[in-house]
Amino acid sequence: MMANLYVKATPPADLNRNTEWFTYPGVWTTYILILFFAWLIVLSVFGCSPGMAWTIVNLAHFLITYHFFHWKKGTPFAEDQGIYNGLTWWEQIDNGQQLTRNRKFLTVVPVVLYLIASHTTDYQHPMLFFNTLAVFVLVVAKFPNMHKVRIFGINADK
Amino acid sequence: MISIPYLTALTTYFSYGLLFVFGQIRDFFRKIIDWWSANNLQGYAPICLGLEDFYIRRLYLRIQDCFGRPISSAPDAWFDVVERFSNDSNKTLKRTNKVSRCLNLGSYNYLGFAASDEYCTPRVIESLKKYSPSTCSSRVDGGTLMVHNELEECVARFVGKPAAIVFGMGYVTNSAILPVLMRKGSLIISDSLNHNSIVNGARGSGATIRVFQHNTPSHLEEVLREQIAEGQPRTHRPWKKIMVIVEGIYSMEGELCKFPEVIAICKKYKAYIYLDEAHSIGAVGKTGRGVCELLEVDTADVDIMMGTFTKSFGSCGGYIAGSKELIQYLKYTCPAHLYATSISPPAAEQIISAIKVILGEDGSSRGAQKLARIRENSNFFRSELQKMGFEVLGDNDSPVMPIMLYNPAKIPAFSRECLRQNVAVVTVAFPATPLLLARARICISASRVGDLVGIKYFPAEPRKQMEEEERMKLE
Repeated sequence: MMANLYVKATPPADLNRNTEWFTYPGVWTTYILILFFAWLIVLSVFGCSPGMAWTIVNLAHFLITYHFFHWKKGTPFAEDQGIYNGLTWWEQIDNGQQLTRNRKFLTVVPVVLYLIASHTTDYQHPMLFFNTLAVFVLVVAKFPNMHKVRIFGINADK
Repeated sequence: MISIPYLTALTTYFSYGLLFVFGQIRDFFRKIIDWWSANNLQGYAPICLGLEDFYIRRLYLRIQDCFGRPISSAPDAWFDVVERFSNDSNKTLKRTNKVSRCLNLGSYNYLGFAASDEYCTPRVIESLKKYSPSTCSSRVDGGTLMVHNELEECVARFVGKPAAIVFGMGYVTNSAILPVLMRKGSLIISDSLNHNSIVNGARGSGATIRVFQHNTPSHLEEVLREQIAEGQPRTHRPWKKIMVIVEGIYSMEGELCKFPEVIAICKKYKAYIYLDEAHSIGAVGKTGRGVCELLEVDTADVDIMMGTFTKSFGSCGGYIAGSKELIQYLKYTCPAHLYATSISPPAAEQIISAIKVILGEDGSSRGAQKLARIRENSNFFRSELQKMGFEVLGDNDSPVMPIMLYNPAKIPAFSRECLRQNVAVVTVAFPATPLLLARARICISASRVGDLVGIKYFPAEPRKQMEEEERMKLE
């Protein structure tokens, strides 16, 4: 009976310890659950309307994922000897292959969050402006053409 | 192939996420505080980037007391572990003078040669008196003694190859040989769970590296076909040579390699095969000759056989065994042979004596008894742990058994509770294992007698009670 609770999977082999955890089962569910529980916590702590709470979650999600996926470069381990030091986390996952399932999922999440946030705030300003800005920046950063592109040299290697 | 309960996967991700968030918050405040105080770099660049040692500073140091515990006796079945304490929540640990006598479940002492042995130790002491602890020279300068030649012949005979070469350190054997054998333009296909020494050697060689899914010969074939068809990156010229690297027993899984299928595939596609027998030489097989004997593979089919003397022989160093031409070539080119100090003579004598005991050439049957004992102990221990409800990986007959822990909080909990009960275990987590699959790894030794293990340490009732307490504490 207990054996049915086990999930068996064969993740693709990935040498990069920084990104291989994203290939295991349960990551997508954990991501979605974290967003949902963050919404519940914001709603209970601030006591604002549900739409406002979704906007706050959307903007916090924008700041956090932009910082960790598209700004910070390298890996948190010294054993990699700096071979990934010029690549952000987004450029490292799936060994740099574009348009994999993981990448598609991660691109859809900000869009879905935007739709929920703008719908529940009835498309009012100024929330709509900030939500649109967030989704625009996040989705453009995830385009395949933006692989290893540094606009105006911002965040390029020294 | 990993199998994990789904809820455990979710809670493990959540736990690591929480640890990561706390680490980032602490780093953020540290950056603010340090911005205010003057730095004493005086114009020099900092030694490491702030984020490179994030894992060490914010995750590993929190549970540092579970790793690197000093011991103060020989790593026999029972040994002395030095107690340590910390006043600043594990950032620094101070040793005390007290020791606790613990059951040794962590040392690689497969055949029990780690402690004083009635055949090996007198010979080692004699060799120490005759030759001194170090040769003080590299093999080509003045460091080749008769023991070295004798050791190389002994190892070649034991493993079943025409010739062998030995080095002073096991890790270096992999990381210094691979750059010599493979250059830019060659292809290395290695198992995804290979040891760090192989990964380092492969990276240092400049060859292109591809991995295949752990112990999956069908995926190996797929990778081989794809790579042979594509050729070298960008130029698409054919590869200069292709080498497939596998291990005999994987130290983190306790699994045996699916060696006969791998050999068949390599023969079909004309790739060289490199077998790392660090954990299997001396520990498996009827006469202890490793994975080739256990799985009935002809040693002539394996191109390069590598192994270490640290696990089953109670010494230090590593060897490479192969054809006479290969060993001759390595003696001219390998930097570990040309520049590194040769293996210490007493250590070499220990290996020779250990091999003689295993083969029965010392006149007794202790070698055969040890091999039978380690097999029995491993199987008994594994079945008892599984009866107790632990999830144990590894094949039968393998002396390495990892117990899955999964959640990061269980690693220090299990380690500290075991130490309180005077059992010393080794726990391993990310990044040595995949993120979700943290484990405690138990290595069985032949130095305990089977029924002693059964009656004294695992009586069914009291142990179950301890297990219940442990479970309640972890929940």
